Amino acid sequence: MDILKTTSLSIGYNNSAIVSDINVSLGEGDIVALIGPNGAGKSTLFKTFSAHIKPIAGRIELSGKDLLTYSPKELAKQLGIVLTERPDDMFLKVFDVVASGRYPYTGMFGALDEKDGQAIQSSLELVGISRLKDRFFNTLSDGEKQKVMIAKAIAQNTPVVMLDEPTAFLDYPSKIELFSLLERLAKEQKKAVLFSSHDLELLLRFTDCLWMIAKDMPFVSGKSSDLLKNGAVQQYFRLNDRDNQRLSEALAQ
Amino acid sequence: MKSRRITIGITGTIIFGAILFALNLFVGSVMVPAEDILKVLLHPAEDTTLSVIIFNYRIPQILTAVLAGPALAVAGLLMQTLFRNPLADPSMLGISSGAGLGVGIVILLTGAVSDTAVSAFGWWSTVGVSLAAFTGAVLVLFVMLAFSSRIKNMTTLIIIGLMIAYLASSVTDILKFFSLKEDIHAFVIWGMGSFSGVGASKMPFFALSVVLGLAATVFLSKNLNILLLGEMYAENLGVNIKRNSIAVILVSGYLTAIVTAYCGPIAFIGLAMPHIARFLFKTSDHRLLIPTTMLIGMDMALFCNLIARMPGFDGNLPVNAITALIGAPVVIAVIMKSKK
Repeated sequence: MDILKTTSLSIGYNNSAIVSDINVSLGEGDIVALIGPNGAGKSTLFKTFSAHIKPIAGRIELSGKDLLTYSPKELAKQLGIVLTERPDDMFLKVFDVVASGRYPYTGMFGALDEKDGQAIQSSLELVGISRLKDRFFNTLSDGEKQKVMIAKAIAQNTPVVMLDEPTAFLDYPSKIELFSLLERLAKEQKKAVLFSSHDLELLLRFTDCLWMIAKDMPFVSGKSSDLLKNGAVQQYFRLNDRDNQRLSEALAQ
Repeated sequence: MKSRRITIGITGTIIFGAILFALNLFVGSVMVPAEDILKVLLHPAEDTTLSVIIFNYRIPQILTAVLAGPALAVAGLLMQTLFRNPLADPSMLGISSGAGLGVGIVILLTGAVSDTAVSAFGWWSTVGVSLAAFTGAVLVLFVMLAFSSRIKNMTTLIIIGLMIAYLASSVTDILKFFSLKEDIHAFVIWGMGSFSGVGASKMPFFALSVVLGLAATVFLSKNLNILLLGEMYAENLGVNIKRNSIAVILVSGYLTAIVTAYCGPIAFIGLAMPHIARFLFKTSDHRLLIPTTMLIGMDMALFCNLIARMPGFDGNLPVNAITALIGAPVVIAVIMKSKK
């Protein structure tokens, strides 16, 4: 079943569209990579999906309801985000960051009940950072910070999770770890996972579906293997024959 | 371990506050033997010079500090979290400058219309100055609220606040240029800050206004905690960014306006006290930070009031000089610590 579905969607700022005619859908357990050069509109698409900016034209359906009809609190229970920006307060604890995922569920003063406590605990465990929970967020490595933000999104308990360049700033082993975590989120937690990335070789290994944006080109979506075979990936990334051969060799290993 | 730190910290600040309260009562610019003060406190009916000093001057002044310190400190905390800027303080909204402009206008107008100095109007002049300061502060507050309902970006908002502050103070400077000499003196005195402006008669109104503002902060703590993640995350978690910043600016601005109206622009309490609370309690949870910042603000105000009225200073040492003396090193320490 589709959780997120767009119909003739145009996105952009101040009524000028960056990308038009987007018709895609995300279902339970899907893991989709949004790829394309910087400035092509990846962040704009994320901002539109999280209702930070309005679509210029078209429609976005989230769990069977128009995205624009959601109240902020209702939307917070549908779609969780992980951004490249990080909290930088000195005394913010890992536990507090993850606990903030429970914001849409708590009362006026933000007191956590037993259910919230369990949700936080299991998100920490799923991501594998239970031992970090009393540490100050600022003292963590980039990879650990990324995991904390993902744990926050899991605690938020939303059917859709969107991650903006989650592999940026990470070293290679952390990237692989992150991709397998995203895969687990989709396959085991049945979430719809959408993320943007430039790690072409890795994301082709871990995802089944790609959405591609590039300047002055139509929005394309499809199976990774198909898009690779028909040359679309190479075209959108402007790979020459040598790059292409290297990529194929890397993927064949 | 964590809860012990909190218990010790809170108990400590309360005890320290109680000691300062007593010292403020017994020590002042007029030297009075302690047993005489005790006698007056136990038999308040006597209508002596000493009971006037205690009940009309010292106690209202102590109460003013007890209310103004927490108000300014928590107003600073709200600004720092809203703008996610450790150096934000209530003056960044231009509210103190707005108050200054209000005072400047009243002083200039009285001088121009009646050709007499404001100070010549006695009691009316202090009420007039408070009223003018409050009006100026609230006007700037409304301008800031209007901006914050249209702007989501906090950096933009902080720049607008600073520019409004510059505008207001430059107009004030121009007004001062055309004012009577005696009035400039009155303005300078107001600008130094003092906890003696409220007095016994206006105390109930002042106390009620401040307590209302302090109580309102309780309802902000949940959103403030989420704001620490950054606006984008907070928005995704369901915080209405514009409505929340209006609420935070309203409470912070209101507290600053009330205090500035009566005590003049008092710097550094709003800037430095939240940092002391953060470092003392090692927390960023506003459910703890808000009350502890208030307690530390109270201690600081009582301490500054005590120093300002030490025997020998003749009661004229500006509170602002003391707050900066203690506040500035704190700010430097914070910057050094956060740069590591």
